[in-house]
Amino acid sequence: MSSESSITRVIVGLLYPFILLLGFYVIINGHYTPGGGFQGGSILASLFIARYVVFPVEDIDSEMLHLSQRFVLALLLLAPTVLLFTGAVHAYPEYRASYLTLMDIFIGVQVGYGLGVAVLRFAFFRGVGESWRF
Amino acid sequence: MRIALSALFIAAVFTTVTVVNARYSETLDPFLYDYMTENFEEDTAAHNAIAAILLNYRMYDTMFEALILLTAIIGMNQFLPSPVELKELSARKQVAVGDKVGKE
Repeated sequence: MSSESSITRVIVGLLYPFILLLGFYVIINGHYTPGGGFQGGSILASLFIARYVVFPVEDIDSEMLHLSQRFVLALLLLAPTVLLFTGAVHAYPEYRASYLTLMDIFIGVQVGYGLGVAVLRFAFFRGVGESWRF
Repeated sequence: MRIALSALFIAAVFTTVTVVNARYSETLDPFLYDYMTENFEEDTAAHNAIAAILLNYRMYDTMFEALILLTAIIGMNQFLPSPVELKELSARKQVAVGDKVGKE
């Protein structure tokens, strides 16, 4: 994986904010347009992939990323238990859209972090060599 | 022997499920379909029926779908070397190749 090309480095650097923007657009508009948490999260994970392609240095702490992913997943499991299954969302109908947006954001961040962890772990494992441990 | 037995078992289960599935066909009453397509906007304030079903009617499904990713990452943590071990491995490889050794 050559990281020397300055063309790809500059182009991916320019694309960074647009990838972020597209990801959060797809996540936040999930309940109005096609898309949602899972799709937007995958777009956010492409940020990690693009960064790995141009700059393959392991300075992102994947353990920390996994920890935050588990934290957001706990929030994702907790929020509908408290808000939806108790009937709180249906008791206050003006907050239904906010509830959908909140759940989309949780799912998006969780999927983005999770796919990022998966990609980084496999990428840097592949970079080491053939030694495999079971 | 064990591998052959498990392969046989999996093949038997696969054929049984396929045969049973092909012999019996079941059509459901479209009650839920009609209800959801007509009432999702009043019920959930979503303009998109998929988001309404995914985040409100079938929230259990989405919760366990999100857990699948965690299960996959737990499996990776189990079978891939951890980042610390990776660093040791790459350091050993650098020594073997003959690059700079003193890098941490």
